[in-house]
Amino acid sequence: MAGVRLEHVYKKYPGSDKASVTDFHLDIKDKEFLVLVGPSGCGKSTTLRMIAGLEEISEGKLYIGDRVVNDVAPKDRDIAMVFQSYALYPHMNVYQNMAFGLKLRKFRKDEIDRRVREAARTLEIEHLLDRKPKALSGGQRQRVALGRAIVREPQVFLMDEPLSNLDAKLRTQMRANISKLMKRLETTCIYVTHDQTEAMTMGDRIVVMKDGVIQQAATPEVLYNHPINLFVAGFIGAPAMNFIPGQLTEENGAVHFRATGINVEIPEGRAKVLRSKSYVGREVILGFRPEDIHEEPVFIEASPKSVVNASIEVCENLGPEMYLYLTGLGKDNVIARVDGRSTLKEGQNVKLAIDMNKIHIFDKDTELNVFEIE
Amino acid sequence: MTKAKLQQLQQVLGAPVVTGTMSLADWERIGGKKDAEIGDYVETEDGVRLITWTEANELQYIQTEAKLTPLEKELLRWALRQQSGKPGGGTDLERQARRLGEWIEQRILSGQTRAEVPDWLEIRGKLFDGMIPFLLQNDQAGDREPAYSELEKVLRSFLSDEMLLVPLQEREWLILGPDRLLLEVDSADSELVDHEETKEALFSLATGLHEMFTEQWGGECHVAVGEPIIPTESLVRAVSELRETIHLGRKFHVGMQVHMPWAVHLERLLNDIPEAARSRFMEEMMARLDLFNDPETVSTLDAFFTMDCNVSETAKKLYIHRNTLLYRLDKLKQEAGLDVRSFNDAVLVRIMLLLYKVTKRK
Repeated sequence: MAGVRLEHVYKKYPGSDKASVTDFHLDIKDKEFLVLVGPSGCGKSTTLRMIAGLEEISEGKLYIGDRVVNDVAPKDRDIAMVFQSYALYPHMNVYQNMAFGLKLRKFRKDEIDRRVREAARTLEIEHLLDRKPKALSGGQRQRVALGRAIVREPQVFLMDEPLSNLDAKLRTQMRANISKLMKRLETTCIYVTHDQTEAMTMGDRIVVMKDGVIQQAATPEVLYNHPINLFVAGFIGAPAMNFIPGQLTEENGAVHFRATGINVEIPEGRAKVLRSKSYVGREVILGFRPEDIHEEPVFIEASPKSVVNASIEVCENLGPEMYLYLTGLGKDNVIARVDGRSTLKEGQNVKLAIDMNKIHIFDKDTELNVFEIE
Repeated sequence: MTKAKLQQLQQVLGAPVVTGTMSLADWERIGGKKDAEIGDYVETEDGVRLITWTEANELQYIQTEAKLTPLEKELLRWALRQQSGKPGGGTDLERQARRLGEWIEQRILSGQTRAEVPDWLEIRGKLFDGMIPFLLQNDQAGDREPAYSELEKVLRSFLSDEMLLVPLQEREWLILGPDRLLLEVDSADSELVDHEETKEALFSLATGLHEMFTEQWGGECHVAVGEPIIPTESLVRAVSELRETIHLGRKFHVGMQVHMPWAVHLERLLNDIPEAARSRFMEEMMARLDLFNDPETVSTLDAFFTMDCNVSETAKKLYIHRNTLLYRLDKLKQEAGLDVRSFNDAVLVRIMLLLYKVTKRK
């Protein structure tokens, strides 16, 4: 087992003015499950491919364990990869598929047999060992692909969107299976996905990327509750965080946030930060999560300084919870996540209160979260 | 001699270098000595002609218009002899395969794609059974070219003991696998596989080969696969077609690494359209091309065309609700005035999308 260290890594393709990955600097601990997440084209797969040795590193150093592996061939890096396509070897049965990599590395027959059968047991595919890939379902094929990687007992697993070819139900199931498996194997895993739910549920730590640059690397809890900038705040969480551009003003000794249809008082602790950083009087962006705007009368009564009025444009009832698409607060829709048993209806005017202890204020120019920067 | 080596030699000599074949009798007629050896040379009206390889009654040569000094000619003779000795460390089969590779290259260079494998190539005896041609191009940067013997061993273990590995250009190999692999793909006992199933099986074999090579062995590569052939009859044509397929695949479908000749018909046609006509088409469509800046639109259209314009199947493939797909297609219709559910508009959008992907990278 080993950690992975990327030291100021850059990837620049010939003929391109801009680097696809810029100054990627990160220590991935031994046995850590690290998720790289970001929108399409953010550089997450390129980073993984550099670690795999499938892309040359333009600048910087890559360590696997204590060894610099920039110039080491993929097959000699002691890594195992599972890709989105997870193409199995169609002319071999499941056993042969899993054994092939070991056979190539000249493992003894009894050792190959031991590892294949153990992996098959772990993945619950023992009964499929004689079958050809064509006779397997999508989920079974995915497990064989994982098995092929597991038997190698590599120092690091690299996975690039391995679940995206599966349907939603199977994806949820496999998500849990992979998490469990990696915990049991105690091997470092670097996992790429564009799906923030996958990232939040699987990763010990998540790296959010945009335009080839790390935006924030932190635990799921920190990313969700303390996003460093507007991009991370908007990318992590579904439905996404609400953003309302407006102005901070000083009124009767308190700091207020004002925008169309909204004038709320900021709690003193947070107001102090805003004053000390000279944000009062400036244009900013207010951010709050859909679950941090409440319709319960008790909450509204207890929070008279953050009450807002809005009208419900659309109600989406998902059973346990309901999403209200509200108008009248800033220019765009604001989404509120309320109890599924709520009796609120479309077209209704409603009084709500924002939980001001959970708000974020973003600098309009730098888009940084004012409460999270030094 | 490979194309790359020919180009290097041209650069060194500062003059064009061409290759050709001739009979030993003709060689003697133009002044060459009777027991011709690699490196021997004669002066002709068109320049100096040097032998690169001899076999039975035939020889291959390179010819250059460069004015060479006696010392330069001797140096070239020496270099060619070193070169010919290179495969000497390999097995007989490797030497035979290299000769076949060189012969294929020369036929392609001279446009003789219908040439049949001649009797004087020793390896011919192994080329009468039905075989599946795979072309593999290894892109792994900064890595040494894999040794023939290593690669052959891996491929034997992966495909079959009956496979044949033929080196072509640098980091490019023709792999001939027995056609019974197709039956091994199918778990059913049936010996009769229909044409569509054959293509599907060939694709899965090529994908498996790509995966094996990338993950277990040599890093990034492109693989093209063709339908089974009798190599003695159509080897040159197959290599030429597969090479063109990879070229088109890389040009029109960046990100794809496995290519099939039957999947690039339209791309081949578009590639042959003169640049001016293509540019004019793109200019006329320019206003509508903005739509392709949105990755969601591009992936939706790609999936829609892959699924033969079937709305339900496309929605399934994209894991979205059918109505979401219809909404996206309606939006495209509103913004671009093109409804991909109608045949004529679908053709236009498909062509725009293919050309857009190429022009965007320029």
